[in-house]
Amino acid sequence: MSDEISQESEVTRRSFLKTTGAVAAAAGLAMTGLAATVRQAEAACGEMPKKWDETYDVIIVGTGFAGLSAAIEARHAGAEVLVIEKMRTHGGNSIINGGEMAVAGNKWQKEAGIQDSPELFMKDLLKAGSSLNHPELARTIAEQSGEALDWCQNFVGARFVKLVFHGGHSVKRSVQTDNASGSGLVNPLFTKAKSMGVKFQFTTKMERLITSKEGRVVGLEIRKGYKFPDDRSGKASFVKARKAVVLASGGFSQNVELRQIQDPRIDSRFDSTNHPGATGEATLAACQAGAMDVQMDWIQMGPWTSPDEKGFGHVPQFCERLVGYGPMIDPKSGRRFIQETGNRKVRADAMMALGYPTIIFGDAVNVKRQVLPHTLEKGMANGAIKKFDTIEELAATYGIPLAALKEEIAKWNSYVEKKKDPDFNCKIFPETTPTVAAPFYACRLWPRVHHCMGGLVIDKNAQVKGFNLKPLKGLYAAGEVTGGVHGAVRLGTCAMLDCVVFGRIAGKNAAKEKNWG
Amino acid sequence: MYTTFIPARSAALCTVAALALLVALPAFAAPKRLTAAKPDNCSACHGKDRVLPDGHPKTAKMTLAACLECHSKDSPASLSGKLPLSHRHQLAGVSCVKCHGTTKKQTPVEAAVCEACHEPAKLAEKTAGVKPQNPHTSPHYGTALDCNVCHHQHAKGENFCMQCHTFNFKLP
Repeated sequence: MSDEISQESEVTRRSFLKTTGAVAAAAGLAMTGLAATVRQAEAACGEMPKKWDETYDVIIVGTGFAGLSAAIEARHAGAEVLVIEKMRTHGGNSIINGGEMAVAGNKWQKEAGIQDSPELFMKDLLKAGSSLNHPELARTIAEQSGEALDWCQNFVGARFVKLVFHGGHSVKRSVQTDNASGSGLVNPLFTKAKSMGVKFQFTTKMERLITSKEGRVVGLEIRKGYKFPDDRSGKASFVKARKAVVLASGGFSQNVELRQIQDPRIDSRFDSTNHPGATGEATLAACQAGAMDVQMDWIQMGPWTSPDEKGFGHVPQFCERLVGYGPMIDPKSGRRFIQETGNRKVRADAMMALGYPTIIFGDAVNVKRQVLPHTLEKGMANGAIKKFDTIEELAATYGIPLAALKEEIAKWNSYVEKKKDPDFNCKIFPETTPTVAAPFYACRLWPRVHHCMGGLVIDKNAQVKGFNLKPLKGLYAAGEVTGGVHGAVRLGTCAMLDCVVFGRIAGKNAAKEKNWG
Repeated sequence: MYTTFIPARSAALCTVAALALLVALPAFAAPKRLTAAKPDNCSACHGKDRVLPDGHPKTAKMTLAACLECHSKDSPASLSGKLPLSHRHQLAGVSCVKCHGTTKKQTPVEAAVCEACHEPAKLAEKTAGVKPQNPHTSPHYGTALDCNVCHHQHAKGENFCMQCHTFNFKLP
């Protein structure tokens, strides 16, 4: 009883403290709370298992371009390598991408008489990235692009066959795989890794990184027999990484809650081009173990997807081949509204500002020259790409005011003749011809969540940095799980390059680590 | 080939009572599968549970071919997608042991076991005319995708392509 009274009087006395005192007290409490949280997190990550179920030199999380490149290099350097994948199939986003990789100074450029260099590439990267790119990282991918392509072709056995252009690049610079899919590289990487003795475990999810008392990453708690997306499925197991862990787990485009924390505009009204497993929990687990994140709110919307088909679809391969060869139109006004060859952010923001799908179209000559027959056939089969015998028909289908549209096409054609677009400065190619020949091919465009530029902080050695600004010993990362390479906006076809270059660096360096125990 | 994933126990099993040839299970409880069960012996696994609708002809000694006389491929009574594939295998004379072996603890089989009978290239050839896309070959995986990604033996099949495409394949 007396205790209660004394407590009460204590509170009363405190409640009369001056405001400054109260604020100081609150700040003190907050700090205590924070310290406790950090300690708990440390304890959780540092809690060593009584027994390791399996041991490898290097453990890699993810089976896309980055994870497989890392696996091959680590194995090549003599390490015993395990790759875990939470999904049932390999390849993640990489196996559904367009199979195009930016490479400065490649042989197709030389054949076409196109002048290019890592310096020019670097300039393009920084321009698109609003110079938020970590320069050392951007320079690394620009300078090592040629070597990366050689490795993919000569060592891994992938076949690249064609030079293509992507918006935001100052020259045609990207090379495409023979099947116009990322699978053209992923599958050779996967086959190569298996043939070299890399071990794979599917339906195995990373739960947390395990760190030693000194804060060194020593292994993973995993969940075997995990059935995406059921977090209660599977069974806990512990794998020890004698040398290092490499995170190549991709981005979080499919995690609506996480992406809205970073960019509240991108709610569930926006679909994603990503595979369903791109949910980012490995990124969060790394942060809980002390890894630092950067630029997580720079989330790229792809301006070339169509609301008339699911997922990535065929339209991106139609739209991107056609920019600079045909006009992009606001269907309400019948007018062009954006630089067609502009970067992704410029175009997606313009479409989001309009608030409704827009149209791109081309005539028979330009479409036939630019668009792969396969893309056209598939896009038409699912109804996303439509064929019109006349401009009148096209205008009627999309509800475009005809007179304005005709005027705009005439204007576009005159720009094509002069090879200069005074309205939006669209890049017009030497072989672009006026949009005149029937039939015309068109589709609707509406952006989808495509790429997370932000992620874990790495240095040029692909080593992850901690919140103490020092490398987090034993942890490497590559690909979309990292941030800084692309800055504000990733240029098209640079993800594939980023994954191969930094995947290889991560794999090599992970294998070089000294065994911790 | 990598390890196949472990199918969910029974939650997704067939629920269409009229077609519950052998599968009208009590909710959320798969029958204990007996490795020695013969194709005509429902009660070996299902016990006293009624697994066939009233008036259904006796299935003892029936083979899959006999079932298909009524449940033909394109009829409303088609068993496609409604009967676990393990049952179809059983009825066609492919016993548990044939796929899982005689080990004490049964484990999911590798795709290679399926491929011993169902050669991927031949399957792809057989389904070449399926629209809008041949389900047995794709630009992503060629013919190398694990069968069990779509065709679960002890649970309802799932159309894996549907997560990104609108390919409305009818799954056996």
